[in-house]
Amino acid sequence: MSLKGFIIRRTIYIVPVMLGITLMNFTLINVSPGDPVVVRLGLIHCDNDDCYNAAYNGEAIEMGLLDSDFYTVPWFNRYVDFVNDLLHFDLGNSWYYTQAGEGVPISQIISERAIYTVVLNVLSFFFSLLLATAIGVVSATRQNSFWDRSLTVAMLLGYSMPLFWLAKLLMLLSFQLFNFTGVANKDAFRKPLFLNPNFYKYLILPTIALTLGGLVFMARLVRSQLLEILRQDYITTAKAKGLDNRAVIYKHAFRNGLLPIVTIIGNSLPGLLAGSVMIEAVFGWPGLGTVFLEGALFRDYPMMMATNTIFPLLFLVARLLTDITYVFIDPRIRY
Amino acid sequence: MATAEHEQSTEFLLDEKTLREIETMKGAGQWSIVWRRIKKDKMGMLGLYIVIFLILMAFASWILLGFDNWLTSQGALLGDPSNPASLNNLYIELWLPGMPAESPLVLFQHPRYHFPELAKLPPSFAHPFGTDGIGHDMVSRIFFGATVSLALGFIGQMTTVIIGTFLGSIAGFYGGFIDEVLQRIIEILYSMPGFILMIFIIVLFEDVNIPGGRYAVVVIFFSLIGWGGTALIVRSNFFSLKQQDFVEAERALGASDMRIIFKHILPNSLAPLIIIVTLGIANTIFLFAALAFFGFGDPNAVSWGDDLNKWQNDLLDYPWMPMFPALFIFFTVLGFNLLGDALRDALDPRLKD
Repeated sequence: MSLKGFIIRRTIYIVPVMLGITLMNFTLINVSPGDPVVVRLGLIHCDNDDCYNAAYNGEAIEMGLLDSDFYTVPWFNRYVDFVNDLLHFDLGNSWYYTQAGEGVPISQIISERAIYTVVLNVLSFFFSLLLATAIGVVSATRQNSFWDRSLTVAMLLGYSMPLFWLAKLLMLLSFQLFNFTGVANKDAFRKPLFLNPNFYKYLILPTIALTLGGLVFMARLVRSQLLEILRQDYITTAKAKGLDNRAVIYKHAFRNGLLPIVTIIGNSLPGLLAGSVMIEAVFGWPGLGTVFLEGALFRDYPMMMATNTIFPLLFLVARLLTDITYVFIDPRIRY
Repeated sequence: MATAEHEQSTEFLLDEKTLREIETMKGAGQWSIVWRRIKKDKMGMLGLYIVIFLILMAFASWILLGFDNWLTSQGALLGDPSNPASLNNLYIELWLPGMPAESPLVLFQHPRYHFPELAKLPPSFAHPFGTDGIGHDMVSRIFFGATVSLALGFIGQMTTVIIGTFLGSIAGFYGGFIDEVLQRIIEILYSMPGFILMIFIIVLFEDVNIPGGRYAVVVIFFSLIGWGGTALIVRSNFFSLKQQDFVEAERALGASDMRIIFKHILPNSLAPLIIIVTLGIANTIFLFAALAFFGFGDPNAVSWGDDLNKWQNDLLDYPWMPMFPALFIFFTVLGFNLLGDALRDALDPRLKD
C-alpha cells in the first residue's frame, strides 16, 4: 500500500471515533438529571404560569427538544440533527457569552479565541521539546554525575508539582521580583495583536509555566529512552569505530530513540491540552481553555458540547500526524 | 528467546559482588527479593515513608472525626463538659508533664469549628500553619483533610484498576469480537482529555443526590471512564501469557477458563498492575485536586483541594493559606511517584539503568 493510501485510511478512521465521542457526550447530556430548559430559563422572570409555559415551550422548541406541535423529539433525531449541524460547522449559540441579548455563535467565539491558545501551546511545546532534549541528552550521557542527579531530582519534583500550583508559584515569584503578576488584562490583547508589545509581555509567564509542565514530563522520557539505547551493541560498535561522542549520540542513539518518544508524546497530548486549560485559567489567558472553563462553571451546555467535540478532534488529528511522522523517522515501519 | 541467550552469555562475567547477591537470594520468594531491592533504593524508601506517614495520618483523622463520640464514651478522649469548645471534642489536646493542667497544648481543632476573631493569623506557635480567612486552624484542616484527599485517590484508582483488569483479562483471553468491541470503546475514552471530560460530567451531574455527596459522583464516573489504560496493559500481558506452556498444561488438566484467568495468568501479570496502582494514585489525587482547584469540587468537604480553591486568590497577601494544602498535595504526589518508580525498578529490573 502506498503512503497516500495509508494517510487516507487513517484520516477516514477518525470519523467513527468522532461519532462515538459525540454519541457518548450526547448520551451523557441526555441521562443527566435536571431539565436544560430550566437551566436556560433561569434569567426569565414571569408572574403567572401561562407566561412561564409559553417561555418554556418557546425555549424548548428553539433548543430542538420539542417540535412545532409540542411533541417531544426523540433523542436519535436530535443526535442526527446535531451531527448534521456539526458537519456544517454550526455549533449552536452560546448561553453564557451573549451580545445584545443574543447568544454569540460558538464557531465565532472559537475562531476568535483559537489564536491565543495556538500561540501559547505552539511556543511552549517547541521550548519544552528543545529543553527536554538538551536535559535528556546531558543526563543520559553523563549518567550518575552531579548534573544528572540534580536534574533528575529537579524533574521529579517538577513532575510531582501540580501544574496549576506551579503557575501560581511562578506568579508569586514574579510578583516579588518584578511586581508583575502576569494576569492578563485588556491592554494585552489590543489589535493588531502581533505588533502589540504588551501581548508579548503577558505571554511570558504562561509560556514559562506551560513549558515547565511539558518539560518535566518529556525530559524523563528522553533520558530513559537514551539510556536504554546507549546500552545497545551497535552503540559500542559505533564507539569502537572511533566516532566522536557527538556523532554517536545524535546520529546513532538519538534517531533510534525518537520513535518511542514521538509515540508517547503523541499519546499524551490530551494531558498536555488539559495542562493548557489549567494554565490559561490561572493566568486569565483568553484562549479556548478559559472559554471552556467559564462556560462549564455557568452550565453553558452548547459550549461544553462544542469543546468536548473540538478537543478530541484536535487530539485525533495530532495522533494522525504522529502516525505519519513515524513513517518518516523509521524506515522499518510498513504501512 | 533472545533474553535467555543474553542471560547465558553474561553468566560468565559476573563479579564477586553479584555472585554474593545471588547467593543471598537463593531460595527467597519473589516478593522478598523485590522488598530487598526497594530497601536499597534510597529515594524509593523516602517515598515509602511519605506514603506510610500520609496513610497513618488519614486513618487517624478518619477515626478521630468519625468516632469521636464513641471514643469519648470509652474514655479514650477526654471531653471537658465545662469548656463549651470542648463539648463535642472540638479540640484534641496534648498535656505534657510540667504544663499547667488547665491549659494543655491544643493539637487540633475540629475542622469545621472556626473562630472569626482568629482569622488570617500568620503561622505561630499556637497555629503552626496559621489560620485561614474565616478562622479555621490550618493544621487541623490539613490533618482532617487527609481523609478525603487520600481516600478519593485510593478508591478512584482501585475501582478503575479492578474494572480495567476484569475487562482486559476477558478481552485478552478470549480475543475475537469482545476484544474488538473493547478496543473501540477504549479508543473513544482515550481520545478525551480526562480533565475536560470530568468537568463536563461534574457539571451535568451536579444535581444528583446520592449518599457521599458530590465526590461520590466524581469517583463513580472517574472509574467508569478511567479504566482504558489498565485494560490495554492487562490485555497485552494476557496475549503473551496465554501462549505459554503452563496455561496449556493447566488446560490439559481440565481447568475452567475462569480458573486459568484468575488463578494462573492474572497472578503472573501482577507486577505491572502494582506499578499502575501506585503511579495511578498519584495521578488521581492530582486530578481531583485540579478539579477542586478550578471550582468543580465539593465546597462543603474538608479536603486539601477545596481549601486550595477557597484561598488561592490570597496567595500574594496571605501566602500560608493556600501554600500548606498545596504543599501536602505535592508531598502526596511525590511520595507515590517515588514509591511507584522504585517498585517499577524492583519488579522489572531490565528497565533499571
